[in-house]
Amino acid sequence: MDFLRGSSQRWRSHKARENAFPVGRNLFLLQALIFVLFGILTLQLVRMQVFEVDSYQAKAENNRLRELQVLPLRGLVYDRNGTPLVQNVANYTAVITPADLPGKNEQEVFDRLGEVLKMPSQDIAQKVEDKRQDGSPYDAVVIKDELDRDTALILKELTPNLPGVELRVEARRHYTSGDLTSHIVGYVGSISEDEYASLRPRGYILNDQVGKAGIEADYEDVLRGKPGKELAEVDASGRQLDVLDARAAQPGQSVFLTIDLELQRKVTDALREYMGTSDNATAVVMDVHTGEILSMVSLPGYDNNLFSRAITQQELDDLLNQPGKPLVNHAIAEMYAPGSTFKTITGLAALQEGVATPDTVITSKGYITVENEYDPSVVYYFRDWAALGAMDFYRGIAMSSDVYFYYLAGGKADEGFHGLGEERLASYARSFGYGELSGVDLPGESPGLVPDARWKEQNWGETWYVGDTYSFGIGQGYLAVTPLQLVNAVATIANGGDLLRPRLISEIQDDHGNTIASFGPEVRRQVPVNPDYLAVMREAMRQSVDSGVASSAKVAGLSIGGKSGTAEFGEQHADGTYDTHGWFVGFAPFEDPQIAVVVFVQRGGGFQNAAPAAARIFDYYFHQRYVAQPEGSP
Amino acid sequence: MIQWRTLRNFDPWIVVSGLVLAFYGALLIYSASRTIYPDGIQGLGHPAVRHLVIATLGVAVVFAVAWLDYRTLGQVAPTIYAVALAMLVGVLVVGTSAYGSRRWLDAGGLSIQASEVAKLLVIIVLAKFLADRTLEVSSLRTFVVSLTIAAVPMMLVLAEPDMGTAIIFGAAWLGMVVVAGCRPQHILVFLATMTLSVPFVVLGIMGDYQRERIAVFLNPEADPLGGGFQILQAEISVGSGGIFGKGLVHGTQTQLDYLQTPTRDYIFSVLGEELGLIGALLLFALFIFLLFRGLRAATLARDPFGRLLATGIVIMILFQVFINVAVNIRLLPVTGIPLPFISAGGSSLITLFVALGVLESILLRHRQIDF
Repeated sequence: MDFLRGSSQRWRSHKARENAFPVGRNLFLLQALIFVLFGILTLQLVRMQVFEVDSYQAKAENNRLRELQVLPLRGLVYDRNGTPLVQNVANYTAVITPADLPGKNEQEVFDRLGEVLKMPSQDIAQKVEDKRQDGSPYDAVVIKDELDRDTALILKELTPNLPGVELRVEARRHYTSGDLTSHIVGYVGSISEDEYASLRPRGYILNDQVGKAGIEADYEDVLRGKPGKELAEVDASGRQLDVLDARAAQPGQSVFLTIDLELQRKVTDALREYMGTSDNATAVVMDVHTGEILSMVSLPGYDNNLFSRAITQQELDDLLNQPGKPLVNHAIAEMYAPGSTFKTITGLAALQEGVATPDTVITSKGYITVENEYDPSVVYYFRDWAALGAMDFYRGIAMSSDVYFYYLAGGKADEGFHGLGEERLASYARSFGYGELSGVDLPGESPGLVPDARWKEQNWGETWYVGDTYSFGIGQGYLAVTPLQLVNAVATIANGGDLLRPRLISEIQDDHGNTIASFGPEVRRQVPVNPDYLAVMREAMRQSVDSGVASSAKVAGLSIGGKSGTAEFGEQHADGTYDTHGWFVGFAPFEDPQIAVVVFVQRGGGFQNAAPAAARIFDYYFHQRYVAQPEGSP
Repeated sequence: MIQWRTLRNFDPWIVVSGLVLAFYGALLIYSASRTIYPDGIQGLGHPAVRHLVIATLGVAVVFAVAWLDYRTLGQVAPTIYAVALAMLVGVLVVGTSAYGSRRWLDAGGLSIQASEVAKLLVIIVLAKFLADRTLEVSSLRTFVVSLTIAAVPMMLVLAEPDMGTAIIFGAAWLGMVVVAGCRPQHILVFLATMTLSVPFVVLGIMGDYQRERIAVFLNPEADPLGGGFQILQAEISVGSGGIFGKGLVHGTQTQLDYLQTPTRDYIFSVLGEELGLIGALLLFALFIFLLFRGLRAATLARDPFGRLLATGIVIMILFQVFINVAVNIRLLPVTGIPLPFISAGGSSLITLFVALGVLESILLRHRQIDF
């Protein structure tokens, strides 16, 4: 047999066998090795599977389950007649979750996505890389916003083959009334890093939207609703396989404004027509009994839709660089000298304090003089706008005599006439709501400024002079008010003494149309003025429109009480004149006041610009308006 | 060539334990491939079916090899060695790659993992060489030549690169020289040299990807989504299985695709997750039983060649199991090595059944000299 050929060798190995048998120490070593090695493995397995099983199971669950936020549908904003001012429209967004990209083939994913979105794949790679650098690879990064429907459909088909890529459908705000109500409704925008940090515990997500201005900001909590949650099972590529548990999102509640959109439109038209070349103008219409703001216009406006989609830097710069500051709501956020419109307050204070009666007659020679306290040879002149002659209280208001109100405010020491003095005047001004926030439901309100001696001392380091009181009395000098404060004060005169909180919201409804909350008048305080004197002031204001300096506010067939003002501001020109703001504030009808209106035109006049604009508004409101059925009536 | 009465020396337990292991493997492969074959078994292409088919074929291979006298293998040892080297060189030249290394030879529609086959071939050659030098086994020359015989294929495997299989070559050689009775001093000096040269190996010979693997092994959390991913996920899978496991096909890690190559190198993680500690201990018991049957063959072998051959085969299987499981449970860095009988992969499975056949061949002939 062939394999027995090497017989000598076979014999030798025979001898070797004698050394080897019985089983050598060495094979015993091998047996021991088997037990040692399997022992090591078993020990490690026992450690992992018996002693640390909880920690590993937690990690496995964490792998498997992903908690997803389900964003609620944001509530809408309606005007007082139920006209929607905003809609939720679908916005398609392509996002990538970096952690879910396939490790080796991510470039392939970028390339294919780039093809669909028609953008360079390097840009996509860069965005993903940035996200990774942030250290949050599990958060989705927006690759492209506002996809058109066709692209969105193509992408939707492709996403199963593009791990890590997702098509998101989000609701975007479309503001149907745009510029017309942008200062009131405001806008939502992408949540900023700081906002995210503070809002995260309340269910906001990284790519969330949050109210940034106007009602959208002030009523964020109402409009947003409650986010829902989904507990989903995902595979290693992040594909969602199954929703294990879900808590539905609770849609936001809707807000009904007190604004009348049609009136808003008419007020805007009137302002546009009479503002001339002014940079900005504003008007507010208020219900004198409820404090409801029926219209609030600030020009120039802006299109808040620019913000609900991502605004470009160019568009933002354009808005910021316009002289009229379109992003600012001039009705509440800026303060101006009220000029002669403030004589209403000076007059009421004088009547209430007994400084003057309706019959007090003062003669205007066109100016008033005050001697310097220390050097009587120095005499200061305070001018009237004309030598108006002898006037009683009504005429003083109607003709808007400065001298008349110099007397009432600062007195005339050499004639023995005692004025109110700055302290009492300031106190009355404050009781009418000047110098404090009105509490309107908008962010960014200015409190205005009511000066007094202490304030001047603290801020200017100077003592208060009687000349300061004169200026104060006619609404010049340091005094500054917002248009809203002015119309609010006049509404108080018109309604018999209740200082109301100006309101923009009438009702909040849930998504089924059930009323959650409705709001009525809120009286902040009763002004400390006898109603008889308020009546005197209303009559004086009626005369001002009827036969006085505010006659350009006259509307045929309507009795209006009003007060115009032309407030000087800024530096004196070489010819001794100043730039002026034009004001008109009034109420109507005189017999049974319903609304109060303020119009402010920057670099305008009360008579030429503001009063006629107000007349247009009154005329529309009482004569042309299609009267909406009062709420609740059939 | 075999007398019928010697058939009672056939050890059925070796074949049975090989088959049980392969069946166990098919179950796990079935579960692990559900992400790719969500509809279950639809035909012969399913990897679990393939595994069973190859295992069945393997039984035939056991009988065929057992019928052949293992000593014939000794006689053609130089040819076997040449074939082994040719395969390993061939794979480097015309092989196909996967997972960053060249391992497969494509021949006539079959894809052969050369190093899996070469392992057994080199063990045969080493056994023959050492058996022929039983008298001068303690000489330095025997030691060095045996080392060279093992080192050449080992280097070729390292060049693929396939660190895991290279370690198996090393372990098999070491075990065989110990059992053959080489001088302990030689072995100790050699081991000391190896230990001292570790830094040079790391810096000089290792490829970047191997260094990276070791770095990742030491701290997988540093790169949890990249290289550390599979280490962490395998560990989580096994750990989360607990004592009884989550149940076959119910492991979340496995079924949600968190494991890479779950039918091959990471099949133990599937077992750990779905069948738990109990399943793992059952697997260990099966292996220990098989290895002891192998050692029994070594003990009964009629000559040193048979004894060394059986020893080599036992060591080969032992170390493959140990390294594969140790990688899965984060005791060793990642090295691609299949779990014997369990992992999907034809070359490995067939080679193992050939090895079992060799063991049977040794057993069948052990009493022939006892007159």
